[in-house]
Amino acid sequence: MSSSTDVRPAPAAGPPTPPTARRRGRGGGRRRGSDRAPFRRFHLIIYLLLGAFAFSTAGAFAWVFNVSMKTNNEFIGTRPWTIAEDWRWENYSDAWSAANVGSFFGNSVIVSVSATVLGVVLAAFAAYPLARVPFRGSGVVLSVFLLGLMVPWMVTFIPLYMTMQDLGLLDSRLGLALVYATYNLPFNVFVLVGFMRTLPGELEEAAAVDGAGPVRTFLRVILPLMGPGLASVSIISFLQNWNEFFYALVLIHSPERMTLPLGLFQLGQAADYGTNWVTLFAGMMITVVPVLLVFALLQNQVTKGLTAGALKG
Amino acid sequence: MHRAAQRRIIIPFLLPALLLLGVFFLYPLVRTVDISFTEWTRTGSSSYVGVENYTRLFDDPGYVNALKNAFLFTLVGGCMLFPVAIAIAWALNQRIHGERFFRFVVFAPVVLSAAVVALMWKFVYHPTLGLINPALEGLGLGALARTWLGDASTALPAVAFTTVWHGIGIWVVLLSAGFERLPPDVLEAGRIDGAGEWRLFRSVMLPMMRDLFRILVVLWIVQSMQAFAFVFIMTNGGPYGSTDIVGTLMYRVAFERYEFGYAAAMGVALVVIMLVVTQIVNKVMKRDELQY
Repeated sequence: MSSSTDVRPAPAAGPPTPPTARRRGRGGGRRRGSDRAPFRRFHLIIYLLLGAFAFSTAGAFAWVFNVSMKTNNEFIGTRPWTIAEDWRWENYSDAWSAANVGSFFGNSVIVSVSATVLGVVLAAFAAYPLARVPFRGSGVVLSVFLLGLMVPWMVTFIPLYMTMQDLGLLDSRLGLALVYATYNLPFNVFVLVGFMRTLPGELEEAAAVDGAGPVRTFLRVILPLMGPGLASVSIISFLQNWNEFFYALVLIHSPERMTLPLGLFQLGQAADYGTNWVTLFAGMMITVVPVLLVFALLQNQVTKGLTAGALKG
Repeated sequence: MHRAAQRRIIIPFLLPALLLLGVFFLYPLVRTVDISFTEWTRTGSSSYVGVENYTRLFDDPGYVNALKNAFLFTLVGGCMLFPVAIAIAWALNQRIHGERFFRFVVFAPVVLSAAVVALMWKFVYHPTLGLINPALEGLGLGALARTWLGDASTALPAVAFTTVWHGIGIWVVLLSAGFERLPPDVLEAGRIDGAGEWRLFRSVMLPMMRDLFRILVVLWIVQSMQAFAFVFIMTNGGPYGSTDIVGTLMYRVAFERYEFGYAAAMGVALVVIMLVVTQIVNKVMKRDELQY
C-alpha cells in the first residue's frame, strides 16, 4: 500500500530506546506524585471511562476462567456469573490430553520458536550489509524487503498453497515455520537496519585495524551491540507466530500438526455440534495465559513493537 | 581496505533471507497476478482466459455483496473504534492513578490470538449460554436480548465490535503518542486564556492531530478490508451472507469451489480497490499544514 509509506516512520524508524529510559516508576505502576496532576472533577469521567473498559475486559476473562471450572451441566443450567461449584482442574487435563490441546501447544511451541529463531537470524545477517556496507543495488534489495510490509499477505495464499504442495511442504510443521519466518523477515530487516545504522561507523575500522575479518567483526562486534533490537524483533515475531491463524488454516490439515489457534478453532467447531464446552474454555485459558504472562513481564517492549508491527499495512 | 573484504560478505549474508522471501513471498505474489488470468478445473489443469475473471467479478452478486459488507465493516468498525480510542488515549495522557494498569488492560487483548478472541466472543454473544443476553435480562432489559450473530441486522456490527475490542490497544498507543507530541506551550497558552479541558480537547488538540488521524484512518481501511479470522470463525459469512467479506468469500471460492483463478482475481481486485480508496481518503483528509 502506498499509504503505508507515510505511515511507517513513526515508532519503528529509530531503534527502540533502551527500556530502562522509559520505565518510570515500576514499583506499583505509579509515577511519583510530584508529576501527577492534582485531582480535578473531570478526572472522574476518565476513571469512569477507563474503569468501564477495564471492567468489561477483566469480566470477559473472568467469565472464561469461571466456565472452564464448571461442568457442562452447570454451564447450561446456571447463570453465567454463578461461580463454579468446584475447582475442576480436570477440565484442564481433559483439554490437554483428550482434546489434544497439549499436542496443539507443542506444535505451536515448535513452529513459533523455530520460525522466530530463523526469521531473526536471517534478518540479522541480511540487515548487516544493507545497513553498513555501501554497494550498488542495496536500495533495491531493501525495497524488496519492504515490499513485504506493504502488500497484504493474504492475497498470495493460492500460489503459496500450490508452491507448498510442489515442495512437499503442505501440511507440515516445517513448511508452516518457513512461511512464518519469511513473513517475519521484512519487519525484522526493517527494524534491524534502522538499529544498525545508529551504531558508530568506526566500529568496523577499529576491528579491521585489529585484524578481524568482516564475518568475525559482525559476529563479535556488531551482534553483541544489537541486544535490545534483537530482543524486540524476537518478541514481536514470536507473538505473531504464536497467534497466526490464516496460514495455519490454509496450510495445515491434519489435527496432529495443528497449532493452538487452528486447533482451538476446530474444537470450537466441534463444540457447536457436541456438548463439550468446558474443555474448550479450558483450552482457551491454556492458550491465553502464557501470552498474557509474557505481556505482563515485557509490557513496554511488546507494546512498542506490536504498535510498530501494526503499521505494516 | 576493509571495505574490499566487506564486499565479499554481501551476497552470502543476503542470500538465505532473499531465498526465503523469493520462494514464499515474491514468487507467490507474481503468480497471484498470473493465476488471476486463468481458469482452473477441479482436476488441476488451467487455461488462459484473459480478463474474463475480472469482468465476471462485478456481475457476481456474491462479490458485490462481499465488497459492500467489507466497506460496511470498515465504516461501522471505524465509528466504534475512533471515538473510543481517542477518548481512552486522551484519558491515559491525563497523568492519572494506575496508568500502567489501565494501559495493560487496554493493550492486553492485542497480544491474544484473533482465533481465541473470536471464539470467546462467539460464546459471549451466544443467545442462551452467553454473557450478554443473561446480563440484559438480569438488568431488566430482556427486550434488548437477541441472537446477536444469528440476526442479519446485528451480526456485522457484533463482529466489527469484537475486532475493535481486540485491536483497540494499538490505536490507543498510536493516538496516545500523538497527544504526547502536542507542544505543551500551546496547551498552556490555551489554559491561560481560560479554556476548559473539553474546549482545549475540541479546539486545540483535535485540529492539531488531524494529520495523525488521516494516517490512522487509512491504516484502519487497509486493515479492515483484509479482515478474515473474526468473520470466518464467528459467522463464516452468515446469516444469509450478511457478514460475508472478500476474505471469506475468496477462501470459499478457492477451497470449496476450487476456482483458483477467480479467487486470485478477487484478491487482486481487492488490493486495487484498497489502493484507490486510500488514495481518495488521503486526498480528502489532506489539509495544509497547521502553523503554530
